[in-house]
Amino acid sequence: MSREDLHSQRFDKLLVANRGEIAMRVIRACHELGIKTVAIYSDVDRNSPHVRYADEAYYIGPPPARESYLRTDKIIEIARLSGAEAVHPGYGFLAERASFAQACYDADLVFVGPSPHAIRVMGDKLEARRTVKEAGVQIIPGTEPGLSDDGLLEAAPLIGFPLLVKASAGGGGKGMRPVFELANLRDALDSARREALAAFGDGTIYLEKMIPEARHIEIQVLGDFRGNYIHLGERECSLQRRHQKLIEESPSFVVDEDMRSLMGAVAIEAARSVGYVSAGTVEFLVDKEKNFYFLEMNTRVQVEHPVTELVTGVDIVQEQLRVARGRMLRYNQDDVRLHGWAIECRINAEDPYNDFLPSTGTITTVILPTGPGVRIDTGVFSGYEVTPYYDSLISKLICYGETRGEAVLRMRRALEEYRIMGVKTNIPFHQHMMDSHRFLSGSFDTKFVEERFSMSDREAPDALQAAILATIVEHRQGQQASQIVAPGERDTSNWKWLSRWERLSR
Amino acid sequence: MKYITTVNGDKYEIDIDQEDRITVDSKTYKTDVQFLSDSGVLSLLLNNHSVEAIVEQREDSWEVLIHGELYTVLVQDERAFRLAKERGSSFEVSGDAIIKSPMPGLIIDILVDVGQSVEKGEKIVVLESMKMENELRSPRDGVVSHIYVSPGAGVEKGQALVTIVNPPPN
Repeated sequence: MSREDLHSQRFDKLLVANRGEIAMRVIRACHELGIKTVAIYSDVDRNSPHVRYADEAYYIGPPPARESYLRTDKIIEIARLSGAEAVHPGYGFLAERASFAQACYDADLVFVGPSPHAIRVMGDKLEARRTVKEAGVQIIPGTEPGLSDDGLLEAAPLIGFPLLVKASAGGGGKGMRPVFELANLRDALDSARREALAAFGDGTIYLEKMIPEARHIEIQVLGDFRGNYIHLGERECSLQRRHQKLIEESPSFVVDEDMRSLMGAVAIEAARSVGYVSAGTVEFLVDKEKNFYFLEMNTRVQVEHPVTELVTGVDIVQEQLRVARGRMLRYNQDDVRLHGWAIECRINAEDPYNDFLPSTGTITTVILPTGPGVRIDTGVFSGYEVTPYYDSLISKLICYGETRGEAVLRMRRALEEYRIMGVKTNIPFHQHMMDSHRFLSGSFDTKFVEERFSMSDREAPDALQAAILATIVEHRQGQQASQIVAPGERDTSNWKWLSRWERLSR
Repeated sequence: MKYITTVNGDKYEIDIDQEDRITVDSKTYKTDVQFLSDSGVLSLLLNNHSVEAIVEQREDSWEVLIHGELYTVLVQDERAFRLAKERGSSFEVSGDAIIKSPMPGLIIDILVDVGQSVEKGEKIVVLESMKMENELRSPRDGVVSHIYVSPGAGVEKGQALVTIVNPPPN
């Protein structure tokens, strides 16, 4: 499919095929541009903010994603019913399914994103590698598609250890296994295939050389229907745990102006090779000598897009919407200047002191940090229930500073101000990271969090205050309880007595 | 009134006579606690040092959030503390340890067999939940005595998965 065949038109009403903070992000951009919004919600999301902030909301199904947010047929039907003319997929769920983009085109709906062809090629890691290699982009050495287990076992020593078993349809670390010696390869093939099959319905796997001490650096690109491309510089995403990004920043410590231009040009070539339209991200691994290798292209808006928005001033979601309406990009490459520094911490419902186990439950209190240089993208509220049905992202805390140091100081301050009760969160992890010398000096790689970072040396500075507060509250409860006597034994009601007692004890 | 309050394994002896003057481990502090709302937000002035916190009651403990850090606090009055002491410590894992599912999910793998010796921190169960494979580890050294589930089973929050007991004496 060529670019000219793609469907774009002016639209005034858009269906957001997602939930949580990214649904909120899209709804906000739509409302800024005067576009009406249609939300969808599962049983557990009736009270979620995206439902309340949208102009219309339609029930889609039971909580499991495959019965709700993954139901292409229902989403198309709701779009028709509501009169929506466009669909924004957000990230996750259907965002990178070519069949969903195709279904939108077939239903005469504008899909806010690239063509089904681009999604298909970039979504298949093996095809993506082949395509960008032909466009002259350097890729990580690895196996060709279609090898049997025996073939993979034979090829492994030629690539060399350590290596990675990866799922062709993979993403977010699913179906990925590091292997350090041949003896462990067969087990890794089995478990990677099992995970890939469960997650993507496709068990195709391949091998890739592992780059030691690599950094994960990605380039944000934007393309329009006229074939114009720009890049918005890099994001440093090396701080990950099990391939889930935890902290992202822009710019990167290791990228200078020349390297940025070079990586940007390569990223644009990768995008151009599939006729890419809309916002996309080209991910690279960067080795110690600053060689960079194409990793994959994410054909959607990414979780970490706000750091780029803060340093470039470009509203990426608005730009997606304009392009989908058939307009040209508002910027030339020369217009794009990185100014200042932005850091994002992903606030997840998980326990950093207990192996980052996900924490479910009802959020009883949320108090958001505010003040200079602080942005929060969130989709939760007091009373929100963190369920096991969706990912554990509660919010994204993004801080901006003129310098990296200023951004870090603001992040520390904002993390202290952030109050979430009812579930455990990884805020202490972020606080510990913001205090760590390795983070401050920018000397970390993709293995740092898993292999060289520990929460065990974190001191809890306010234990005394916590002890005093809990004791006073319990004491007060006990005092109140002992004042309450059986009805009739006191001259007045217990409630009056209680309020009298409270006045007395002030 | 005397309390023994435990945070992160540290014990504090807290004596509250008047609420605005309390003694912690024989050091006296001037305290002022204000309840700001029903949502558990408190303001503490401790010798005029200002701390905002959220305090919420859990089943048998308190959760206190200060400066991003969540503290689990056990408050016992002197009498309850003595009773608990006589019954044997309740906070240390010395008896059977039951590994329970911390959330609903799917058992992917059980990495141990009944009778196997395990070390504290050893991976016992792989549980898939919230789109992630999570490793549940042994809270103590010991021997696996029971396995209640098998791979492929769906489990509820709090469901017992594996029991680990004291190793038999050598």
